[in-house]
Amino acid sequence: MVNTLDPQNFNNFSEASVSVEIETEDMTLNIGPQHPSTHGVLRLVAKVDGEKVYDVKPVLGYMHRGYEKLAEVRSYPQITTLVNRIDWVAGFSNEIPFIAGAERLMEIEVPERAKHIRLILTEMARISSHFVFNGAYALEVGALTPIFYAMEDRERVLDLIESVTGGRFHPNFNRIGGVKPAAGSGPTTKKDIQDLPAGFYRDTKVAMQKVIEAADQFQNLIGGNEVFKKRTKNVGILTAETAEAFGVSGPILRASGVKSDLRTLTDYLPYDQFEYDIPVGENGDCYDRWDVRVKEMVESAKIVLQAIDSMPSGPLQAKVPKVIKVPKGRTYVRAENPKGEMGYYIVSDGGLGPYRLKVRTASFSNISILPLLLEGALLPDLIAIMGSLDFVLGDVDR
Amino acid sequence: MEEFLSKINENFINTDVEFETINIKVDSSQWVETHQKLKDEFDLKFFSWLSAIDWDNEVSIGEAPKESVSPSFEIITCLSNVSNNNLVTVSTTISKLEPKITSLVEIYAGANWHEREAYEMFGINFENHPNLEKLYLPDGYEGNPMLKSFELISREVKPWPGEVDVEGMPEEPESDESVDG
Repeated sequence: MVNTLDPQNFNNFSEASVSVEIETEDMTLNIGPQHPSTHGVLRLVAKVDGEKVYDVKPVLGYMHRGYEKLAEVRSYPQITTLVNRIDWVAGFSNEIPFIAGAERLMEIEVPERAKHIRLILTEMARISSHFVFNGAYALEVGALTPIFYAMEDRERVLDLIESVTGGRFHPNFNRIGGVKPAAGSGPTTKKDIQDLPAGFYRDTKVAMQKVIEAADQFQNLIGGNEVFKKRTKNVGILTAETAEAFGVSGPILRASGVKSDLRTLTDYLPYDQFEYDIPVGENGDCYDRWDVRVKEMVESAKIVLQAIDSMPSGPLQAKVPKVIKVPKGRTYVRAENPKGEMGYYIVSDGGLGPYRLKVRTASFSNISILPLLLEGALLPDLIAIMGSLDFVLGDVDR
Repeated sequence: MEEFLSKINENFINTDVEFETINIKVDSSQWVETHQKLKDEFDLKFFSWLSAIDWDNEVSIGEAPKESVSPSFEIITCLSNVSNNNLVTVSTTISKLEPKITSLVEIYAGANWHEREAYEMFGINFENHPNLEKLYLPDGYEGNPMLKSFELISREVKPWPGEVDVEGMPEEPESDESVDG
């Protein structure tokens, strides 16, 4: 690239008729893999011309753990443990579609109470994931305060998940046919042991009220901030058409104005029993992506509160064979996870483990639009756009 | 859903429905036009994923198929519509000796990374792909890890199911025996 300085513009030098040619070079900027804003180990090789980014190449694989290969040598109950670690910010949500797929092939009818507990916990996982996003995203665009509020509020939700499952991040709570008997629940009889811990309903009601308050607080603290608005409005606009062709799902798709939610479209959990809104954005910019997630937290809290009020009684486990063998067949079960569509394509040959397990994760497809979104963006916007996609590298690389 | 299914059945020969998912089997020569048709006429604009299955009777790990299969690669794509629950998987079978198929990037831009993954994991060549190079694996990595013949090194040391790895596997279940919830 050659920039010519026109001597006519420099009156003092015009008589000397100086013509200077300055050679400029494209710079290749290497971001990551160890970079705080990449939510893990994503590497971006960006070509920049001054402040403008004109070509970005994401380099993946630093977190590749080979789940699909491992799944071929594990039995179904063992895979439940593995899949927790795919999207570690919302570990519980990862179990749902896998377990639902195995149950579908085995034709097991899960008890209503177990389904409700699954639903409550997966919504809590969504809330905790969106808390992390709120804190981290504000941090990335320059606001230090919100992450402290977000982490404090998230801890309240994680405590609840822990009180039921025994794990904060990796609950490993689902069993084929139902859920595990809850940890730390009543001391004596078998019936007590298998139920939710004492005081769970009361604590949940308090925590969910706090979530609704926190979302309101974020709307003021983050959304009301002029700098935040300037950094995110009309930045990184994604159209609905492009999003669909790339398989972008979840809050990012909804921020582009598509009212699409697998919770209402499919029946992997009894969401049809509850009333909630599906927040959508208008412009598909970074601000809308943030806004949709904050509003979703409130809706999730509402679902949890309704689910607690209408909690059915009954067993937590359906009758299942002692040795889990999934009949021959194949199925694809997808679920609306905090980051978008997550699904497992199970190809069973009637054995102890699947013949082939394809893991479809949301973040993988979501960040495949990065090269497109970042083309022509300013370098400071790169972080704002990347952060708004809310990806987790475990979910990208698997 | 029923209307959609009857329209699918009118247009494609080899279809079946399994758990609310419509499966369409096509010949590899019709791979691209099938997808074009599904996108334009059936409104399946959401590209969910693409992957492959290595069908082989001899496996180095895991369990071999119980019934003999003809060694081949099965390539599967999953397409859906964001505003209803129409879900279609399209599959085709290609030879293992010359594993190649035309890329779908022209139709679904999202196929790009999925095809790169299938390329490195199975060694399938996607023709007309704009940038067919490794996605996850490091440069210089040899072999295609998702092939059934590819050995998992930890398994060589620790055969599965091993005493160290899991408890001794229980015997075949009796039909009426069950865990009571």
